[in-house]
Amino acid sequence: MNKKHAGGWLEDFFSFIVNRPKTVVILCLLIMGFTLSFLPQLVKDTRSDAFLAPDNPALVYRDKVKEQFGLSDPLIIAVVNEGQQGIFNPTTLELVRWLNDEIEQLDNVDSDRLVSLATEKNIVGSEYGMDVREFFDPVPSTQANSESLREAIDDFPLYKGSIVAKDGKATLIVAEMVDELKAEVTYQQIMAIVDRATVADGDQIHVAGEGAIAGYLGSYIDADAGRLNPLAGLIITLIIIIAFRRFSPALTGNVIIAASVLMTLSVMAANQVPFFVITNALPVILIGIAVADAIHIYSHYFELQAENPEGEVKELVVRTMLEMWRPVTLTSLTTVAGFLGLYFASYMPPFKYFGLFTALGVMIAGTYSLIFLPAAMVLTKAKVSNHFVIKHQSKKSDFFATVMILLGRITCTYPRVVIALFAVLAVSGIYSSRYLTIDEDRIGTFHPSERIYVADKIINEHLDGTGTLDVVIETSNVEDLFLPENLQKIQSLQTFAQTLPYVQGSTSIVDYLKQMNRALNGGSVNEYKLPDNANLVAQYFLLYSASSDPTDFEEEVDYDYKTANVRLNINSGSFQDTKETVVKLEEYIAKEFDGENIRATLSGRVNVNYHWIKDLGQSHFLGLGIALFLVWAVASLLFRSSLAGLFTLIPVVGSILLVYSAMVALNINLGIGTSMFASVAIGLGVDFSIHTVDRMRSLYRSVDGNIDRVLERFYPTTGRALLFNFMAISCGFGVLISSKVVPLNNFGTIVALSVTTSFFASMTLLPAMMKVFKPAFIDSSHLAVSTPARSFARVASTVLVIAFGGYWLLSTNVYADEKMTASEIVQQVNSVRDGDFVTRKLTMHLMDRRGRERVRETFGFRKYYDNEKHSVLFYRSPANVKGTAFLTWDYPDVDVDDDQWLYMPAIRKVRRISASDRGDYFLGTDFTYEDIKLEGKLSMSDYEYTLIDEEVVDGVLLYKMGSLPRTKEIAKELGYGRTEFWVNSSNWLVVKADFWNPKNEFLKTLEVSDIRKINGIWTRHQLAIKNHKTGHLSRFVFSDVDYDTPVDDGVFTQRALARGR
Amino acid sequence: MPKLCLAFVLMCGVESSFAVLDWGTIRDADFSATIDQDLTVKKSDGSTQKFQTTIEPRWDIDLTNNTRLVGIGRIRVDNESKLGFSGSNEHVDLEVRELYVDTQWRSAYLRLGKQQIVWGQADGLRVLDVVNPLDLREFILPDFEDRRIPLWTANIEVPVNDVWTAQILWIPDQTYDELPERDNTYAMTSSLVVPQAPVDVPVRLMQAKKPQRKIMDSDAGVRFSAFLGGWDVSLNYFYHFQDQAILYRHYDGGAVSIEPKYERSHLIGGSFSNAFGDTTVRAEIGYSSDRYFLADHRDTDGIVRSGELSYVLGVDFQGWRDWFISAQIFQSYLTDTSDAAVRDRVDVTATVLLQRYFMNEALKAETLVIQHMADNDGLVQASLAYELTTDVQVNIGLDLFFGSSDGLYGQFKEEDSISFGVEFGF
Repeated sequence: MNKKHAGGWLEDFFSFIVNRPKTVVILCLLIMGFTLSFLPQLVKDTRSDAFLAPDNPALVYRDKVKEQFGLSDPLIIAVVNEGQQGIFNPTTLELVRWLNDEIEQLDNVDSDRLVSLATEKNIVGSEYGMDVREFFDPVPSTQANSESLREAIDDFPLYKGSIVAKDGKATLIVAEMVDELKAEVTYQQIMAIVDRATVADGDQIHVAGEGAIAGYLGSYIDADAGRLNPLAGLIITLIIIIAFRRFSPALTGNVIIAASVLMTLSVMAANQVPFFVITNALPVILIGIAVADAIHIYSHYFELQAENPEGEVKELVVRTMLEMWRPVTLTSLTTVAGFLGLYFASYMPPFKYFGLFTALGVMIAGTYSLIFLPAAMVLTKAKVSNHFVIKHQSKKSDFFATVMILLGRITCTYPRVVIALFAVLAVSGIYSSRYLTIDEDRIGTFHPSERIYVADKIINEHLDGTGTLDVVIETSNVEDLFLPENLQKIQSLQTFAQTLPYVQGSTSIVDYLKQMNRALNGGSVNEYKLPDNANLVAQYFLLYSASSDPTDFEEEVDYDYKTANVRLNINSGSFQDTKETVVKLEEYIAKEFDGENIRATLSGRVNVNYHWIKDLGQSHFLGLGIALFLVWAVASLLFRSSLAGLFTLIPVVGSILLVYSAMVALNINLGIGTSMFASVAIGLGVDFSIHTVDRMRSLYRSVDGNIDRVLERFYPTTGRALLFNFMAISCGFGVLISSKVVPLNNFGTIVALSVTTSFFASMTLLPAMMKVFKPAFIDSSHLAVSTPARSFARVASTVLVIAFGGYWLLSTNVYADEKMTASEIVQQVNSVRDGDFVTRKLTMHLMDRRGRERVRETFGFRKYYDNEKHSVLFYRSPANVKGTAFLTWDYPDVDVDDDQWLYMPAIRKVRRISASDRGDYFLGTDFTYEDIKLEGKLSMSDYEYTLIDEEVVDGVLLYKMGSLPRTKEIAKELGYGRTEFWVNSSNWLVVKADFWNPKNEFLKTLEVSDIRKINGIWTRHQLAIKNHKTGHLSRFVFSDVDYDTPVDDGVFTQRALARGR
Repeated sequence: MPKLCLAFVLMCGVESSFAVLDWGTIRDADFSATIDQDLTVKKSDGSTQKFQTTIEPRWDIDLTNNTRLVGIGRIRVDNESKLGFSGSNEHVDLEVRELYVDTQWRSAYLRLGKQQIVWGQADGLRVLDVVNPLDLREFILPDFEDRRIPLWTANIEVPVNDVWTAQILWIPDQTYDELPERDNTYAMTSSLVVPQAPVDVPVRLMQAKKPQRKIMDSDAGVRFSAFLGGWDVSLNYFYHFQDQAILYRHYDGGAVSIEPKYERSHLIGGSFSNAFGDTTVRAEIGYSSDRYFLADHRDTDGIVRSGELSYVLGVDFQGWRDWFISAQIFQSYLTDTSDAAVRDRVDVTATVLLQRYFMNEALKAETLVIQHMADNDGLVQASLAYELTTDVQVNIGLDLFFGSSDGLYGQFKEEDSISFGVEFGF
């Protein structure tokens, strides 16, 4: 045969492998062993938050809120009693107290923030004013006391629905965790407490809440995986044995599976990528894929052996590999392309990693199939089964081949019918895809029979809801929340919110104040309203703190009474249910909390979920498009015909369309678990068509253009192999159908469906189309005979071109998730870290319009004390100002003047100087005091911001923003009528700004350059301001910037000024 | 003088060794200097009052992480020598101005050596700012920094608690005010400070008996300062020799002899300042237990002893564009009644300072007016300073005295002058 001599280096390569099988096998096992050493480092991350990129604005803001108010995703423990008295009986109440005390003692439970009937306090009027006493002080021990408690709760609207059901039949204990990553352990501990509790007749205990979900999800999925993966492996082993009637193929197949799966997980661990919820699907997919190559290679090998019974094992192996390396590489590459589509299109880290690492696993499987497998085949002296030989020689087909031949005959006879059938399916698929709903509900991950699912439903039925949406209200000044107009706004917000769908209740400082007002005014229901002046509000808080702990309101308002949180309880977690609420609420707060003195921002679990789900649909279709494109490109280039590439896509596209129809019919939503099916289906399904096209082309060459004869030879050989391939994959995914994790279940179903359709389409539609249309590419004889070497080179270079091209094309757009709004950009700019303290040298270059330059060298320190900023500047040169030092204590409140001192060496004294007006120029430069103080941040209280444009400069995306001072007074004070500035989207720094004075004259331009990361913090090293009116230029050059060395507090004192250090 | 020369040579040696800057002990060393060239011309007749070159080198040597050695020297060369130097040479004056070690021990800051210490919140008027003596050869015309005479001091600042810091001073240096000689331009003639003898009576000036004992005659004081509720406050106590010798008058037969003696006093007082919007308010108040004032012939030894209560109240206003306006009022009240004192029982002086910057602080214009109410005399000082380049500054100034010729200021009415100067920095 020609191939023996024209093999070239590929032949040498495979010969090398078969001649040193032991070495190769040991080497492969060693590499595997080494990589596996990283596996123990793998960590699990089951949090919802893991699905968002860490710099996503919604997540960043939520973390800020968490820091301020300590709100996180709680564990909710419900005690339910459906009896006549509901929970208001001594036994149930005692149970509540016992549970509360037990849970309080857990390490990871924040005991300060535990909320239940046992911790909450009643506010009643007394002759001295306000009496604040715990509801359980003492625990009601008689039915009469329990009834009094019921009355007390009835009298306190805030608690009805939030911790006690309106019908009195359920009560909640809400626990927040200190460290959310320990959710699983905490959940287990709470379940253990629940199991230990003495539960009387009629009482039920349920545990739910996002905290519980995160906690249970981990072990839930582990239990599942622990069952699924061995099952999948077992089924596949059985299939291989049935196919080849030999054990050795099963053994080597399993080794390749192990290599692929375990090495991928180890690489993940080594790169500190956690194991997410969806990563559970990865081993199952890899099992199915890894084994396919082995099946094809063995199939071909056994065929050759059957044809040449006396042939040498080594020689036959080489011949097999020379024939099979191409389709194996092709299928691996196209599968990788499919998963890389997922990587490029996803905006959620777990999906990106899933795509990336599955692609890696496929590459490892492909590589091991090409290197380890031939060596193993030689070592195990793989011998074809007699059964196979007999069948082959008698030209009789076994059961499976017979099935395929039958299929082939139908296709050959009625090709047009087949095509028409698929056309109908395609149309219905396109039509159905319009009705696809995007929805996601975390609780839906669990099977309805699970305790946590039941608990969630019961809690949402009886009480205000387990879903939380927070509205954070920020005012400009300390104690602004005492002002009645601000409190009224909050009250109106709550009233409005409760008209929105699924919002069952809300909690804010307003509710407490209303109760206090009522308590102090005789207890009449009419007095359940807000006090009408700020002093009264202040007094109420004072009175409260006299009888109780002022930190009781920690979750509703901050210490300065500047920021408040309104928590809305929502009784559905589903995206579709809550999206209208989120959107309407955003509109309301944009209108009512317009930012001058009071601002509002949405946060909380429901808000975060809304943000990451809403783009899911777009991401799904984008991923689909990218994967299809990549596969087409690879196939076209390797078959050297774009039509061939298109043909390889047809079965896959058909299968996806069918899945859409099925999803609509079966009411399966496009959610987190299911949205990635498209890339997976493409990656797997395309293997069938590639093998088909490839084999048909090579067969065509050997039968001189008779398509029927091609098909005749195709079905029993490649067709049979593909059948086993199909069975392996579909059984692998079929196993997922038995999963109790609902999304994985759905995922398994639809992927199995899609793979089945791909298979049948490849087996019927493709050959039918080839027969009917007789495309040119099937005749590859006109193409120059390529040596395996050249083919390999072409394959490799194509892959590289596509990989780099795709990456480059998409790298700038990879995070094109949401269109950013002006306020989001401002938030991003203001969240950029600038270090708790910094030491730096500053050289000021001042140049007048004539070009005369004066230089001042200074040395400065800056440190934050909560929101207060202390900064000091020491002049080092020139000699006539040396020793001058300038100290500022910046207070965050706009109305509180900063304190400034100046040390002048000439008078050897520290002078107290008046806080300069914010618009005054700083020490003779063109920067104002406010410019210096802000240090690149943007003031929300002074300006309104708009997004003007997006510009790309030197490959970087810049957001062009405009700002207008909120009032004329502010404009005059700061000296700016309007500004335009550019924000660099990669580091969120303002890099250029233009300023106009209040008379709209072009005043000055700021340019920032030399931006580098120092100690991990983006630092602007050069700032230049050109004053267009005076022609004067100020250039600030920062050097020796150090964020690591701690700055001594003593440097911000007057005596430090005099000492010059 | 030999001591000073030695110190200077030492510093020069240190400086030149920087060429081989690899001393293991020195972490960082900095050298800078200014050279001033000054020409002062008398307004009335255009004669040159002063043509002086001043070189002030400064060394800052960081010996360790928190220890620094600072040395400031001064060389003055005056062609005209009408003003008089304290040393033997009329034209050249060489001086180690300051030489001290800054260090830190635990939470205490120490500055040991020759240094200037300034107390109080007033500009120019001295209530609490009496720690260092003054060089009065040019009256009050030069900057305070140049007029104050540094003393060998142990200066320890230690925080007392979270709020208060204590500064303890111990000055074993018996250097006092340097007065101009009888024939120098700014020799004092006012009867407020110079005893007036009747005509034709010979006056014999005896040698001043300066305190000599380093320890027993040293000055000591303490200051507590804090930042309370936005106010910078301080409480001060100083036990010291007054910096000018008290001129006791004796009648010796037909002659008058003046016996200068140095006397001690306790000073207790405080200061506070705060900023309100565009205005800064500052004040200091002090009570000296034993002050000595010239008396007329009615008194036996020509000196009246009395306690003195004095205060300064100052307001700085920065609200109007680039102007800086500062006004102060100084009042001194003698607690013991005696008609014999030459000065009034209640003595008031007011000052007003107007300052404005132009051209991104390159040009500074300043006018200071001092008015002494008792004699209706005073001083007007106007100046313009312009930064030509980073290291070169040119300035022009005008000093005008007005009022009664017997007044503290008016006594120099004839000496109105215009000055021109260039300053180079290194």
